[in-house]
Amino acid sequence: MIIFSRWLAKFLPEDEYGTDDASVMNKRYRKFRISLLTTMLTISMLPATITAAIGYFQYRDLLQTTEKEQLLWNLEGAQKTMQTLINELHSSIEFVVRDDRCDEILEQDTLDTMLIRLKLKYNGFVDLGVIDSRGIQLTYAGPYKLQGYNYRVQEWFDQVVNRGFYVSNVFLGYRNIPHFVIAVSKKRSDSEENWVLRATINADTLQNFISTINTKASDDIFLVSRTGKLQTSSRFFGNSMEYCPVCETSSHIHDIVKLERGMGDVLQVSAALENTPWMLVLIKQKYVHQAAWFSFRKRLLLIFLVCAVACLVISYSLSTMLTNRIRETDEKRQSLLTEAEHSNKLASIGRLAAGVAHEINNPLAIIDQKSGLMQDLLGLTEDFKYKDKFYTSIAGIQNGVSRCKAITHRLLGFARRMDVILEEIKLNELIQEVLNFLEKEAMYNHIRMELQFQENLPTIYCDKGQLQQIFLNIINNAIDAIGKDGLILITTRVSQEKDVVVKIKDSGPGIPPNILKHIFDPFFTTKAPGKGTGLGLSITYGLVKKLGGDITVSSEIGKGATFDIRLPIKPDKSAERANNE
Amino acid sequence: MSEIKVLIVDDEVEFAATLAERLELRDIAAETVNNGKDALSTILVRTPDVVILDLKMPDLSGLEVLNGIKEHDPTIEVIMLTGHGSTSSGIEGMERGAFDYIMKPIDLDLLLEKINQAYEQRKNLGKQP
Repeated sequence: MIIFSRWLAKFLPEDEYGTDDASVMNKRYRKFRISLLTTMLTISMLPATITAAIGYFQYRDLLQTTEKEQLLWNLEGAQKTMQTLINELHSSIEFVVRDDRCDEILEQDTLDTMLIRLKLKYNGFVDLGVIDSRGIQLTYAGPYKLQGYNYRVQEWFDQVVNRGFYVSNVFLGYRNIPHFVIAVSKKRSDSEENWVLRATINADTLQNFISTINTKASDDIFLVSRTGKLQTSSRFFGNSMEYCPVCETSSHIHDIVKLERGMGDVLQVSAALENTPWMLVLIKQKYVHQAAWFSFRKRLLLIFLVCAVACLVISYSLSTMLTNRIRETDEKRQSLLTEAEHSNKLASIGRLAAGVAHEINNPLAIIDQKSGLMQDLLGLTEDFKYKDKFYTSIAGIQNGVSRCKAITHRLLGFARRMDVILEEIKLNELIQEVLNFLEKEAMYNHIRMELQFQENLPTIYCDKGQLQQIFLNIINNAIDAIGKDGLILITTRVSQEKDVVVKIKDSGPGIPPNILKHIFDPFFTTKAPGKGTGLGLSITYGLVKKLGGDITVSSEIGKGATFDIRLPIKPDKSAERANNE
Repeated sequence: MSEIKVLIVDDEVEFAATLAERLELRDIAAETVNNGKDALSTILVRTPDVVILDLKMPDLSGLEVLNGIKEHDPTIEVIMLTGHGSTSSGIEGMERGAFDYIMKPIDLDLLLEKINQAYEQRKNLGKQP
């Protein structure tokens, strides 16, 4: 679990509030989304892939086994057929040598007749020869002059004498036609001496016969010697007498063999033919069940792809949704934190300002009284040279004092030391009253006021004086911002049945973003020194907050600024508590 | 010459003295003390008609002095001086028997008006018993 959570923490977006950099945050959330997507895809796709792979290989093995069994069955059939041929050839020759007819067939005519008879049965018989125990061909019937030829030194002669029956490999010999030999040896009943009947048969006989075997079930069928020499021609390995490298070792192998000439894998089965030096080989290009295999593969691939696409779509949308949700939450928390920080900052600056204001108030009262006294005394004094200048100076001092007084009172108000007196207020009427107060200034500057009040706006419970100050401040600012010729649009409406929203939009030059950030900060002013205290909007902010409401500003350069003031119809408890501080 | 006697109680010596001088110029007999104890001992000797009383002083607070004055002679009218932006302590003073309150820095004309009103009320109250 610990390892898992550590691993999870690695790609979760970090909880950093120092970074305002949007691109860094974007990168972080993208990384998170990709990690999430990868994880989800892995979790969902891994089992599907494994299952598909297992199915794929299992089914292929099953098909191959079936294939091999079928081929083996074919091989058995072909083997029987071939064996029958061999047996028939054998018995034909046995028929010639039956019942100790040695002396009989030593006669040239008899042997010739025998050859003709055999030829009638199998066209492939070329010649016949009778050989005595010394290996000398006594009689010969056939197209070549081989009478008297000594076979004693040839290997096969010993074999046939020992075993009684012999079949040779296909060979060319000096006659240069592929042929093979079948020989049978018998013992003379009188002298106990062996004699041998040797028959030569054209290899075509084998070739023709093997071609008659139904090869539908296989792609290639041929005979091969134990040394790998082809006895009949093969589709894959060449003509008769050529060397087949794969067949050499395959005395009893039933397996998949790789072909060299780019024909891919083939399935090869082979069986020895009894009493011959031959192997029967069946070759099948893999997967005759290809149709079934391909359709299975196609379906498997289709299902897998559908599964993959579904996983991808679900994982993608899920990870995107989750990331967005987390991002929204993070941003909301961030903005709440920022707002709380801002309120705290405003509150602490406010407290400081109020403390300063309070300390200044007393000396200010002394200056006020002293200048008043000077004025009083001046009134009792006879005219002297600079009396008028004294009067104007005192008026200047008193003017300064009253400005200071205004600042300290506002500061103290900002610090929430003013009491809130809740009463029923008709907001539309209250705004109208404030506007009456500002009418002259607006008219003088050619500023038009447009009012879009919602009728039957519910009465709200609020402090009248403070509301007046709020709207006075904002509308005054709007007038200052426009300067001359413009429009102030004021709308009121109910929002969500618990708030009243007043929107004050001016057609002024708008507020640049860097100023917009600080617009509610105390002592922040863009007006010339002495023209504004920089407290108006921060006091407004404090007042709205104290009344349990909210104030936001939005602006675009050249498009004016809009203040949204949201006030609760009934203040909640937190606002009341703030009032009692 | 009006016979109104005013006692100014404020720890700011300069403020109290200047205000007294300005009241004298307007024919009001004004005396100053700079702390609560002096104020309470002064009223034992010379009974003023109106006391102008600062709310915030180092020794005794304005409200304590107000209690002392009202205990000694409820007919002495008291106008509270508040340095706060808040009106709450002024209102509290009024609940405890002060005649009115005025915010610092004061508007002298307004103060004079309040002094006269307070004096009228004291005179009326004095006649009643």
